[in-house]
Amino acid sequence: MTGADAAAHELREVFDTLTTSVRGAPNGYPKALTEWRRRERRRRLVVAILATVVFALADAIGLWALSKANVNTHIIFNDRPGVTQTPKGGIGPPP
Amino acid sequence: MRQRVQPAVVSGPVVEPAADLADAHASLADLDREAALARLFDSHHTPLLRLAVLLGAEGEAEDVVSEAFYELYRKWNRLRSPDAALGYLRAVVCNLVRLRVRRLQVARKHADHVIESVGSPEAEVLLRDDQRVLVEAIKRLPPRQREALVLRYWLDLRESEIAATMGISAGAVKSHTSRGMATLTRVMEGRA
Repeated sequence: MTGADAAAHELREVFDTLTTSVRGAPNGYPKALTEWRRRERRRRLVVAILATVVFALADAIGLWALSKANVNTHIIFNDRPGVTQTPKGGIGPPP
Repeated sequence: MRQRVQPAVVSGPVVEPAADLADAHASLADLDREAALARLFDSHHTPLLRLAVLLGAEGEAEDVVSEAFYELYRKWNRLRSPDAALGYLRAVVCNLVRLRVRRLQVARKHADHVIESVGSPEAEVLLRDDQRVLVEAIKRLPPRQREALVLRYWLDLRESEIAATMGISAGAVKSHTSRGMATLTRVMEGRA
């Protein structure tokens, strides 16, 4: 047996010795499954609450911004209401 | 006089066949998933616990493996195939233990003394003196080298499987394994 083989053999032996006494609890699956289901329900609830909070916040911010906006300041057309002249020479932007 | 026949009114909720089928399909998928997980849990729970212990999870091995199974339970539908489940579990265990080791390394910087072991305390009692030296050397190895050695020499995985589990290339696996083995061989030769 070469040095590397002997080292590998000894390493395997040590790993086996270290793990012999490690065992999972018997019949642990039902308990684990209950725990996974509980965590999954909780995770979904948290995600739903977060989504609701984010949606409500976005709504509230949007409504607040709209309520603060000046009625006379137009966003799309850069003119004041009632002042705009209708184009005289047909279709087109006001002069 | 001719009487008009009124259509019979069915009271109660209207059941859509498509929705019903979708529900049945979802519950069947859930049952499939739970049956597959039960088989995996029965056959691989203890080996995964041992893997976690060897990688350095110590008292947290149970939590690490439990977390790995929960991740699999959550992401079952995203698996390429049910055969990929074991590899995924191993990868999650490796990642979680690596995180734990990093956390301990940070804690060690702020504490005078941190207790660390490779195997279970009961098992360490069973070790011979010459094996204890080897265990001490394994403890001092960088986490990646230790992972590569455990996966190679304890689980007897192929290089490609080790690479998939550790999320690195096959070349990097070779490098970690040979460096780790060289360190341990030096320790064994020094001991003799």
